[in-house]
Amino acid sequence: MTGFESTLANLVVMAGFADALGQFLRPENLAAVLVDGLAKAGLYVMIASGLTLIFGLMGVLNFAHGSMTMIGAYLGGLIMVGLVGGSTGFGANLLFFFVALAATFALLAGLGGVVEVGLIRQLYDRPPVYQILLTFGLTLILDEIVRIVVLFYGMQPTSDWQAALGTKPAALAESVDLGIVSVSGLSLFEIAFGTATVAGLWAFLTKTRYGMIIRAGSEDAEMTEALGIDVRRVFTVVFALGAGVAGAAGTLLMWDPAWGASVPLAADTLLPAFVVVIIGGLGTFRGTVVAAVIVGMTDATMTWWFVNEIEFAGLPEMTIFLILVVMLVLRPQGLFGVEEVGGH
Amino acid sequence: MVAVLPKVETMVAVLYFGLFAMSFDFISGYTGYLSFGHAAFYGAGAYFVVLASNGKIPLVATDTSFVVLLALAGLVAVVLALLIGAVSFRLSGVYFAMITLGFSQVLYVFVRGWDYAASNPRDGPAVLERTDPFSVGVPGVDSLNLAIGQLAGDSVEGLLGVLNFGTTEVSYYMIGLVVLVCYFAMQRIIHSPFGRVLVAIRENEERAEAVGYNTFWYKLGAFAVSAFFAAVAGGLFAGFQRSVSPENTFYFLVTGDALLASIIGGFGTLAGPLYGWLFDESVTEFLSKTGEGGGLLPYLREHLGEATMTTELYNGLTVGQTIDTFLNGHAELYVGVIFVLFVLFVPNGLLGTVRDRLGGPVGEQVAARLRGDEE
Repeated sequence: MTGFESTLANLVVMAGFADALGQFLRPENLAAVLVDGLAKAGLYVMIASGLTLIFGLMGVLNFAHGSMTMIGAYLGGLIMVGLVGGSTGFGANLLFFFVALAATFALLAGLGGVVEVGLIRQLYDRPPVYQILLTFGLTLILDEIVRIVVLFYGMQPTSDWQAALGTKPAALAESVDLGIVSVSGLSLFEIAFGTATVAGLWAFLTKTRYGMIIRAGSEDAEMTEALGIDVRRVFTVVFALGAGVAGAAGTLLMWDPAWGASVPLAADTLLPAFVVVIIGGLGTFRGTVVAAVIVGMTDATMTWWFVNEIEFAGLPEMTIFLILVVMLVLRPQGLFGVEEVGGH
Repeated sequence: MVAVLPKVETMVAVLYFGLFAMSFDFISGYTGYLSFGHAAFYGAGAYFVVLASNGKIPLVATDTSFVVLLALAGLVAVVLALLIGAVSFRLSGVYFAMITLGFSQVLYVFVRGWDYAASNPRDGPAVLERTDPFSVGVPGVDSLNLAIGQLAGDSVEGLLGVLNFGTTEVSYYMIGLVVLVCYFAMQRIIHSPFGRVLVAIRENEERAEAVGYNTFWYKLGAFAVSAFFAAVAGGLFAGFQRSVSPENTFYFLVTGDALLASIIGGFGTLAGPLYGWLFDESVTEFLSKTGEGGGLLPYLREHLGEATMTTELYNGLTVGQTIDTFLNGHAELYVGVIFVLFVLFVPNGLLGTVRDRLGGPVGEQVAARLRGDEE
């Protein structure tokens, strides 16, 4: 190829790229990506905030978090399938969803409390790596138990549990017209749900007395102890809370056709959750929220480029991990992190 | 009695994966830096061997001797480790684990979508171009080579007049030879002054620095050495199986398996992870569906008798079905339980505990007792 020809080829490629960029920058496409990104951010903040709560106070990186999310997806789905008998209306289905959500939250919080008291409490005197190891072993056990149950009851002929997906109200599957762009009702629901969770957790942490104790415990566990507060019990509560939020996230994921209830969901949610909490700064709730928006937006943008222009299936996922790597290189403590977090 | 021993196929897997677990222990057990993305090097080695055999690596002929391929795969991993390590060793603790995990996941997702590697990258490539088997031995001297592989390998008959080996047994010994050489090499490095610095880093990095060691270069060097042997392990795996997939090479749960082996065998005892993985595979095989070498399921089926097996326990569930449900292919559950029990109650692992009891490395202690040395 002569120099001229290669220049020409480059120009053609660049023209193609400029064209694609022009497409991407059109208002309706940008708006669609924005809504999609916010919906994804809603999911990411759900799967990551439990993890960051636990790490922030206890310094325990909970590898079993993804498994708890996965169990939440199945439990939430089971309860929904049980409650939604015939065809019910939008309002009734939504009501059942919140019943299922509350039940899943409670059950997972119970599991979290048992795990903290029964297992993790034994390890506070050891180096922190042992807590990672223990929770890693826990994921193996939990995943396999769920797999046995799922196989035994013949719940899962396909990878996504269709029965659970089917309990979604019809209105959430339809498109909603927002002027320049029409988006799926589920996306709007996820945005609303994520926002409500963030608001709720924020209010709990900053406005309630127990939230204050949790924040005090994560700032200085010894001083909090000296003030007469049983930090060990706070640990249990926070671990239960984190597990409960993971379960709630699972219940939300069960409805999303891109995720659904399946055993591999454990690993599929664990890694993005790690990415989000590390970008935001391990243990900072504010950072987790900001990072979830960043990761959600990146995911949505890259998904658009993959669907429309770039033929590489792994593009969105790879970009997410690249952000993690770049973030750790530039600012290891994360966006809002401090040098040292956690302590006991 | 024979039923208790694992099958030869299992033992081959124990050898190459045990080598990978040892290489993981070499960096994580001795420096204390949890390399959670170690599968990247295992995968790089495995993919290198398969891609080179398909003529997809420039300048490497498809019929290059397997031993040379292993060494080249190791060197590729060394380069990769230097690149990843140069960035990652600025961090420590959880952050180091996370950045290495991040790098390996980037590679995993990339390979899973890379259609140059295989026509269906999600399933991974198989050796297609190269028809002659992979041989372990002295490159260029045919009589000093024996081929490995389940179907493609050599078999030996009438060695020393009486010994006969099938293809899998030959693979077992030849892969074992490579693993043994790698083990001795790593052990030599651990017991050198270089290795002592690694332990010093694990025990107290600040003090090691204060004494005057530039710990960054030591860690990077150890990472590169570890990556080399991880890639050799991956190459052995690819050479034996003749096909690889992203899931069994680059995925982060592959590192998880190495971690499992290291904890059960003994963290920071180079040979321990091999025993750990042997233990793990034995449990898996003991609980496996077919259990050709014995196993719990066939045993129970045989000895419980028809009446017991069809006894109804609960709501139409028979004993036989219960056994099937809880044992059939669910070894992971019991391995997980064992792992958690080890973390809680046997933090030094199998070999570490034995060494603690004896008061030093097993070989030395046994020799000392035999000689009748005074304590």
